[in-house]
Amino acid sequence: MLKISHLVKTYPKSDRIAVDDISFELRPGEIFGFLGQNGAGKSTTIKCLTGILPFDSGTIEICGYDIQKEPIKAKMHMGYVPDNHSVYEKLTGREYVNYVADLYKVPTDIRTERMDRFAKLFRLEYAIDKQIKSYSHGMKQKICIIAALIHEPKLWVLDEPMMGLDPQSTAEIIAHMREHCAKGNTVFFSSHNLDLVKKLCHRVAIVNEGKLIDLFDLAGNEENKANLEERFFRITGTYEDRLFEDYIAQESADMRPDIPVKENAEEADNKDTEDEAAAEEKIDSAAVVEGSAEAAEAAEGDGQ
Amino acid sequence: MKGEFSMQSVRTLFKLDLLSRFGSTHKRGVKYRILQYSNYLFFVAIYALLIYGIYMLTKMFVTEGGLTTEFLTIAATITLVLATAISTGTVIKNLYQNGDNEMLLRFPVSGKEILVAKTIYCYLHNLIVCFLLMLPFYISFGVVAGARVGDYFAYFGVTLLSTFLPFFIANIIAVPVMKLMNVVKNQFLLVLIITIAVICGIFAFYLTSLGTFLNYLRRESESLFSSGTIQYFKEFAQNAYPFNFYAELVHGGIYNGLSSGQLALRFLYIFLISAVLGVIAYFVCTKEYYKTILYGIETEKASFKKNIKDKQRSVAWALLRREFYLILRSFNYSFQYFAMACAAPVMVFFCNRLAASMGTESLGANIMPGLTLMVIIIFVTIVVSFASTSISREGNCFYHTKIIPVTYTTQTLVKFALYAGVATVSVILSCLVSGIYYTTDAGGHLLSAMDVGAIFCISEILVVSLTSLYMLIDIKSPTFNVGGDGELVSANKNVALAMVVGIAVAILYGVFAMVFSFIPLSIGSWQITAVGGDIGNIYLILSLISLILLGASLSALFVKLNGKYHKIIP
Repeated sequence: MLKISHLVKTYPKSDRIAVDDISFELRPGEIFGFLGQNGAGKSTTIKCLTGILPFDSGTIEICGYDIQKEPIKAKMHMGYVPDNHSVYEKLTGREYVNYVADLYKVPTDIRTERMDRFAKLFRLEYAIDKQIKSYSHGMKQKICIIAALIHEPKLWVLDEPMMGLDPQSTAEIIAHMREHCAKGNTVFFSSHNLDLVKKLCHRVAIVNEGKLIDLFDLAGNEENKANLEERFFRITGTYEDRLFEDYIAQESADMRPDIPVKENAEEADNKDTEDEAAAEEKIDSAAVVEGSAEAAEAAEGDGQ
Repeated sequence: MKGEFSMQSVRTLFKLDLLSRFGSTHKRGVKYRILQYSNYLFFVAIYALLIYGIYMLTKMFVTEGGLTTEFLTIAATITLVLATAISTGTVIKNLYQNGDNEMLLRFPVSGKEILVAKTIYCYLHNLIVCFLLMLPFYISFGVVAGARVGDYFAYFGVTLLSTFLPFFIANIIAVPVMKLMNVVKNQFLLVLIITIAVICGIFAFYLTSLGTFLNYLRRESESLFSSGTIQYFKEFAQNAYPFNFYAELVHGGIYNGLSSGQLALRFLYIFLISAVLGVIAYFVCTKEYYKTILYGIETEKASFKKNIKDKQRSVAWALLRREFYLILRSFNYSFQYFAMACAAPVMVFFCNRLAASMGTESLGANIMPGLTLMVIIIFVTIVVSFASTSISREGNCFYHTKIIPVTYTTQTLVKFALYAGVATVSVILSCLVSGIYYTTDAGGHLLSAMDVGAIFCISEILVVSLTSLYMLIDIKSPTFNVGGDGELVSANKNVALAMVVGIAVAILYGVFAMVFSFIPLSIGSWQITAVGGDIGNIYLILSLISLILLGASLSALFVKLNGKYHKIIP
């Protein structure tokens, strides 16, 4: 599905090798996790394999097509969700997805069925006809995901996909990743969430300073699952007994500090009295703002 | 908290504002500093040139025409109107549109404190603008009229007094302007149509007025200061309230044409007008400012809803549609491109008419084809210079152009087709307008059908050449410097380069055609043009040069395009 061989990438005007001789292969039907610290080379590798960045040497094949020699065929089989959620904000959600669907030549009936299904799944039905600039961070992420899936790609690449998403949407994306793989497709994603990777991925690769240091199975290998955090910490050079113990403690224990209940209750009583006075003030100022709030609603009418 | 007022908070906010504007301690490279100092030098040179121009104008009016108060009234009118326009822009930009309003409201400061802190900055800006605009006129007047040392202090005082009127008016009109802008938010097509109408209107009014004035001067025995003209200026100075009050204050210091009482009365009038406007501005701002910025913050992300049906389109059509909407739905881009393209034929017509009325009489009718060609190419340059940001405008979405299964050539061709297509329509309309007018009796038959056809062909070849050249410039060196709304934050360096190249081409083509329309040209035994002969051969030479330029620019853009595009790193 995806085959990366001896990939090397150095940025212009930089003597540091961003990706240093990385090779691995993804199988059909698997979810593959790509781990590493910030600046380890994860995003650069992803940008090389999606065609965003040129690279110095090595080869990348997507579904048997070389990204450099047959880029159009290779890109036809791939869907990409970037980490910065950049989309054409002047378009409406539906216009954007339709635009992407046109580029991937998705027939009208199929795109309508998929768009409706995804909009419902990600709870975007009421926003999909609005301009993207009005979307929240999470909504932009969701429209990027819908656009990336509209042509049902064989390889779905996601760069830190869960950042800024609410728990419900995270759960929906995880469910969809599993569903996508069940159809024989492959999901390749980078993440900092070790717990998620442990639960979701069939295999995982850890990169550090541009080099692929470790690649191992998680599915059906309880020992690897149990050791994932320790391996990650050791590989990335951040392993210290105290830090690692803290991390494990945070993962398993309740970190909430105790609150002295009695004192707090008294403070709360005092605060209630203050709040009542503040509420009266707020009512006055709300009356001033009311006019502008109504106008804001009105501005959401048809524009173009 | 929002109703409280403390001068300490105002001072802190003002300092913060100044720091954010001028407080950068970031060390820049030598190249940057050289560029910065060159910009300062350029500004100083232009300003010195302006002062020289003002001095010569003053000499002309005061020494030759004996028009003293009249000249000062004209100067006060122009400078005060200009200062008001600049100040309105500054107030809108800093008080209402500045993105820091939302951030400042999170601090424990009131809307009134923010207003006062920002108003201080706006006033200081206005003060500098007024001094830069007015003092050259008044000092020139003093030099020409032989003023005493004390008079120069009076000029300084009058200029200081003059700073209030534009500032107060700007504060009053900024609120309704902002409210209007909020109302038309997202009404892109409406705004575009209004913008085109306003541009055309202002341009037509300006050039018609200029033409009328020049014609008037020509009729008045070819002299600027004929008795009729002097009478015209005198009447203007008598009725131009309140600008003549400022002029009389400046004037009174030298000639004592007015008694001290009369001068004091003029001062009182100005003071009262400024005070009344100041009080109105105070009430308008304190009442409306907080509400207006809150409304701006609340509606910042307000968008429109558009129900469309899913429909499969071809790849090229989808790309073209997307590019079109991204331009149309941005006020900046639609103004730079669509508004200029639509207004160009009107501008060409008025520019041509004025230039023709001046040039044909002094140089002869032969210059008309060259003049038309030059004017059309200048407007073509303005319109297609938009292509020099074709890649930069992608901003944070540039990655998208790399991941989609569409060749870079197709993507470039689609953008090329849109830019060149709109410019072509503009050129056709420009040629039609010029052709219809100047091939008739009303236009004095200054152009023939052959002229119009040749001008169209040359301009159209240049549209394609310049579009591809400008796109190439941006592919080679894009600047992804975009703001929060995803639009380019400032004029791209590529646009400046594009304008320089285009205007140079326009001048070369225009001057070549004009000069050799009345100077015979021959190469060896080939007589290219003869005195009074037709300029068909000039068109032929320019067409050949254009075709060479076309071939070179198209091949520079499209040959090895994939490699050039692939090298762009977002």
